[in-house]
Amino acid sequence: MDTIFPHVVFTIFGIPVRDSVITTWVAMALIMLMVRFLNIDALEALFDFLNDTISSLVGRSAAVYLPLLGTLFIFISAANVIGVVPFLNAPTRDLNVPLALALIVFVSVHYFGIRAKGWKDYLSDLASPAFLLPLEIISQLTRTLSLTLRLFGNVISAELIVAVIFALLPLFVPLPLAGFGIFTGLLQAYIFTALAAVYIGAGLEVTNPEVPNDQ
Amino acid sequence: MSEEGIIVLATIIVAGLGITLGTAIPALAEGRAVVKALESIARQPDQAGNLRTTLLIAMALLESTAIYVLLVVLILLFANPLIDRLF
Repeated sequence: MDTIFPHVVFTIFGIPVRDSVITTWVAMALIMLMVRFLNIDALEALFDFLNDTISSLVGRSAAVYLPLLGTLFIFISAANVIGVVPFLNAPTRDLNVPLALALIVFVSVHYFGIRAKGWKDYLSDLASPAFLLPLEIISQLTRTLSLTLRLFGNVISAELIVAVIFALLPLFVPLPLAGFGIFTGLLQAYIFTALAAVYIGAGLEVTNPEVPNDQ
Repeated sequence: MSEEGIIVLATIIVAGLGITLGTAIPALAEGRAVVKALESIARQPDQAGNLRTTLLIAMALLESTAIYVLLVVLILLFANPLIDRLF
């Protein structure tokens, strides 16, 4: 039960390193093995799925945003699915990992918006109805917080439920719950990526377009 | 009743009440969303893909408040900072 909550494994130069870091490396190794050994058709199907989803959600051609959003999807899927393996714990059950991913999305929304529209246009679009500016700022922070808590809450409650049932009835009963954990992990990865794409698309939209919005 | 006894009692009552309300209300809301989505799919079957994607994202957003409640209840039961150990 105690391994459900993240604990420090070793220290480097006095900086404590948690087991989530090590599990993240395992997830990275898993992704590299998957890319090396999977059929090319499977990889193309994955690419097409990501491309279509992200294009339709961002509202324009996904070429610029596909690296970031595709990486988010693949990494979060791998990280969540690792939690089902018996002696490993998903790195996303540590609050810091979903927080880091949500902060990446937060920074990238503003980065892509400023890159597409320029400083002044982006900020003036952000403050379009000027009396809504405080609400806009609060909603930016709330979106980041909700991305974090959604991913963290789903993963840690899946792990905790499997751990509790395992402590009570270890024989066959945890299996369907662990399977449900795989489904939840993949779904939450898709939801995280889809919401990130929607936020980036919303940041790119011009309030008074001279050119139509899907150029 | 001792200090710790009162806190444990309050924790149990709040956990039970919280999880009941916290799963019932989002479930009702999701049911209403699904009803509307199914009616729209029945009216325009060629838009089914689009509607399905929107439905899925909307359900995940509705589900997230239920997850927040579950998170708080789990913290209360398993990592309660006010008592030594409940489980």
